[in-house]
Amino acid sequence: MHIPDGFIPLWQCAIYWTIAIVALIFAFRWGREKLDEKSIPLMAVLAAGIFAIMSMNIPIPFGSSGHMVGAAMVAIIFMSPWAAVIVIALVLMIQGIFFGDGGITTMGANIINMGICGGFVGYYGWKTLYKPKMSADGVLKGTGILGKHKWWSIGIASWVAIFLAAVLASVEMWLAGTFPLALGLLYMGGFHAMIGIFEAIITVIVISTLEKVRPDLLAWNNLKPTQTDNTETEPTEAVAK
Amino acid sequence: MTSKNKSLLIGGLIIALILGVLSPFIASTNPDGLDASAEHLNPAIMDNPGYWHAPFDNYQVKLLGDGPLAGIAALVIGVLIALGFVYVVTEILKRRSKIDN
Repeated sequence: MHIPDGFIPLWQCAIYWTIAIVALIFAFRWGREKLDEKSIPLMAVLAAGIFAIMSMNIPIPFGSSGHMVGAAMVAIIFMSPWAAVIVIALVLMIQGIFFGDGGITTMGANIINMGICGGFVGYYGWKTLYKPKMSADGVLKGTGILGKHKWWSIGIASWVAIFLAAVLASVEMWLAGTFPLALGLLYMGGFHAMIGIFEAIITVIVISTLEKVRPDLLAWNNLKPTQTDNTETEPTEAVAK
Repeated sequence: MTSKNKSLLIGGLIIALILGVLSPFIASTNPDGLDASAEHLNPAIMDNPGYWHAPFDNYQVKLLGDGPLAGIAALVIGVLIALGFVYVVTEILKRRSKIDN
């Protein structure tokens, strides 16, 4: 899904870069408030793993292949889409600058599609489906429409995240005059609907492994009873007071 | 850093390196979703040379030839850069937070 240089006119790239930079400012602000001793190594390890797994394209039908993105996974682990924006943007920078995977001018669009769209859709999709809530006695419960199916809600949200990121990329390709809209949506949506199954499976495997090995690293296990999110700091501080 | 977090860092790095080493052998050479779409919808655009020549273009260390070793070396370098870069950036963010407070 990495858009190379030349696929989008420069003036449109400038708009996407501006949006991406604004999002990164918000993400870094979140990072300054929320990152601690244990989240830094976790973020670094997730970035290394995402870099490696993004290079591993798996074959899908109709002569194509695809790789995992991991934005939903990071956002769900940290319970904040800003975490995904940080990790995916930094990984995309490394891939574009050192490995020629994704363009330099189109990096803003790639950050929007994979980092911002992937992270926000993955996180809020999961939150809507599962709606985590910590009870007063410290037991995490899902209160959403898939509240009893934590892993299904994670898998579905991950699938939707990569699918909508691909849809957004095909709309950008249409605005750029690179792909026709309907066929672009058909091809990009079709290929990434299949890739999304891989994304969903790997996301569930990684998060369920963390739940077994280091449950303290999952933000949902550190929720306070009145807290439903790790995006804003104010509710936590209010509880502390 | 606590020993638990050190183990997380080392364990995660080992898993990422294993994925990187295996990748040249098991990754599909088929075009990815975007390239496959472009091949169907606008093949001429695939000839665009781009504006930047990356040192490890196409995940290959060219000095090591065209074999799997060139791919493995590039991915090991990439995994280490990704780990180090994200660690440094997030550590700076955390320190800035302490200074602000």
